[in-house]
Amino acid sequence: MSQVLSNFVRALRAQDVRVSISESVDAGRVAELVGFEDRQVLKDALSQVLAKTDDEKFAFNECFDQFFAFDQFKPPKPASNENEAASEQSQEDEGQAGEEGEEQDGEGGESEGSGQPSDSGSAPGSGGSGSDDREGAAEGGEASPDRDLTALLESGDDVELQAQLAAAGREVGADRIRLFTQRGLFTRRIMEAMGLEGLNETISQEQRSGTSAGEARADNLRELRETFRLEVRDYVERQLELYTANAGRQLREEVLSKINISNVDRRDFKLMQALVRKMAKRLLALNSRRKKRSRRGQLDVRRTIRQNIEYDGLMFDIAWKQTKVDRPKVVAICDVSGSVAQYATFLLMFLYSLTEVLPKVRAFAFSNQLGEVTDLFADKKIEEAIAEALSIHGGGSTDYGRAFEDFEAIALDDIDHRTTVLVLGDARSNFGDPRADILDKIHDRARRVLWLNPEGKTLWNTGDSEMKRLSPHCDRAVVCSSLNDLERIVSDILRTAV
Amino acid sequence: MTAPRVEISDIQDGFAKEGYICNAHIATAIFLARNLEKPILVEGPPGVGKTELAKATSEFLNLELIRLQCYEGLDEAKALYEWKYGKQLLYTQVLKEKLGDLMEGAQGLAASMDRLHEFDDTFFSEEFLEPRALLKSLWSENGSVLLIDEIDKSDDEFEAFLLELLSEYQITVPELGTIKAKSSPIVFLTSNNTREIGDALKRRCIHLYIPFPDADLETRIITARVPEVEEGLRKQLVSFVQNLRELELKKVPAVSETIDWARTLVLLHAKELDSDMVRNTLNVLLKFQDDIDNIDSDINALTTKARAAAE
Repeated sequence: MSQVLSNFVRALRAQDVRVSISESVDAGRVAELVGFEDRQVLKDALSQVLAKTDDEKFAFNECFDQFFAFDQFKPPKPASNENEAASEQSQEDEGQAGEEGEEQDGEGGESEGSGQPSDSGSAPGSGGSGSDDREGAAEGGEASPDRDLTALLESGDDVELQAQLAAAGREVGADRIRLFTQRGLFTRRIMEAMGLEGLNETISQEQRSGTSAGEARADNLRELRETFRLEVRDYVERQLELYTANAGRQLREEVLSKINISNVDRRDFKLMQALVRKMAKRLLALNSRRKKRSRRGQLDVRRTIRQNIEYDGLMFDIAWKQTKVDRPKVVAICDVSGSVAQYATFLLMFLYSLTEVLPKVRAFAFSNQLGEVTDLFADKKIEEAIAEALSIHGGGSTDYGRAFEDFEAIALDDIDHRTTVLVLGDARSNFGDPRADILDKIHDRARRVLWLNPEGKTLWNTGDSEMKRLSPHCDRAVVCSSLNDLERIVSDILRTAV
Repeated sequence: MTAPRVEISDIQDGFAKEGYICNAHIATAIFLARNLEKPILVEGPPGVGKTELAKATSEFLNLELIRLQCYEGLDEAKALYEWKYGKQLLYTQVLKEKLGDLMEGAQGLAASMDRLHEFDDTFFSEEFLEPRALLKSLWSENGSVLLIDEIDKSDDEFEAFLLELLSEYQITVPELGTIKAKSSPIVFLTSNNTREIGDALKRRCIHLYIPFPDADLETRIITARVPEVEEGLRKQLVSFVQNLRELELKKVPAVSETIDWARTLVLLHAKELDSDMVRNTLNVLLKFQDDIDNIDSDINALTTKARAAAE
């Protein structure tokens, strides 16, 4: 039982549900408390101790339905017995396969066995006694667990088959499946653990027997074997899906966050957006704690005196020094001409996903003329707003000089000592004057100016790149080509310290 | 031990008697909380009955409800305990007068100090402790229901301070040591999600998310809360509200607003919904003028739809 639960927890983790150790311990207590009899109660109860956000609840529901797709653990105790029995059986199988021949005469009696061998020694056939009885005499010379499968298939007892399948799956460790290509291997192993060999032998014996009844049975068995194989394969695929559903995506996310943004395929954009949101959420969690520390043990003399004037200057109500980290105002100036547009997209997406900690973001876009696009973000979804900003301002040939002149006219007055100015661009001004003097003015007024250049450092100052003239007026000029770079920069801004 | 399913439906029935209609999911949470002795963190949109749940539980289990409303700046002096300063001052005064008698005949400093030590020190003792909500619930003899309302409004520090209480049912008063609960209270924490609750807190709790109820459940709630409403009208108004929740609104109407609306309609002797009636009473359901203006044109369609659905 605990095996089932810990597998389930693992499956949950694969679906991005964060389950801590103490929570899985809780899950164990819950399962003990409510038992496995009532599916709905179990589901409700487990969801309350394991999944603790909206997204997680959703993932939990899917995962629960998938994981407990059939009653693979319904009688928990028999299942575990069976597990042991199965392994013992297979050992016994290896050991005794040779001398097992004379067992056959006892077999008619065995066939009414329960199907859940409680004692590995007897290992009786499974429930379906009818067909088994009929054919009993014809088959012989096999170890009993093997016949088990034959009988089981012929009996058509699906529940029992599933239970044994799950047991065999556990035995061969189907939950350790990692790769798509391992499906065949695991299918084969499970079938073997359930006694495929015996089944094959029966088939060939029947074939050899020459009687028409024998051949018909062989055909029938072959068919059953095929359906069975499909079923096992299904089972293995389900396990794969369960435990590795997100492994591929996680890998891709990892790659995507490192790759140069301009190399990202258009079809990966959706994933990139999700990734940005995820990163933003992480930054948010890190920075949303209130940035205020009071009572640090340092007396604030001025405030204390002022506060206590009403008490005739008696130092009664004492004020302590507080450090307050304020949230920076951010002004983003983005080059949205052809090559740089994609970087701008993701930078803006980042900034606007952080409205909770960065409430004052103003965005300006330019290729030659510059315009403010802040309003677009106010009442549209981020993606739409970005698309619109690009279509209004993108496309022209870049002119940094012109853009800075426009910026000076529109927004220079609003920049104060709390503002962080981000300039995103490759500084390729088509040999026009980049008006570094305006950037210098901005630098004078702003708290700091960061230049984000998507090009590698080796390309700076080549051709029409004006980094040499512009970068002296920035506090920092950094390469920013991948999502990871972006995340680092944004988190830097949030931390405020340069 | 009775089967959990039976116990859960018992809880459900018990709640129904108190006028709180809930589904099995919610009852399961209560069941778990009692048996695992873990606090419940209740989340959900405003007005779905998170606070009500705690009240219903206290009535159902016949336990005292102790409520602590969180707000920014709430600290332990207000949540846990306070010293009764006035009494302490009086005590020192009394002590001063008695001191002369006590010291009579004592020779030298050492002897006086010994005398003083013999005298029991009650300055920092439970007598002078003014219990606040949290301490009260720990001290209550038969257990209690402790409702920590809108935990998301409190500061992070307070959240951290709660951790000891929630996992061990004990709190530490520096002057007195650790105070353990006489019997574990059932703790409810509610949150409207104005900020993310810390992982540490979440980990210690059973997490219950209460969404808006479906039409069936909401009808039963209205039946229980406003029995005067006739069945036809009840179905119509529930289906109207359900449809309203599908729309893009600044603030969708919650269950409490549905109940208010039902009461309003009863007051107006309404037999069934018509668009004029809806238009006149819409301010009970919607709390933003923008929302009311926005759906004004849809009222006719919504009313017809609600009436059709109730058929």
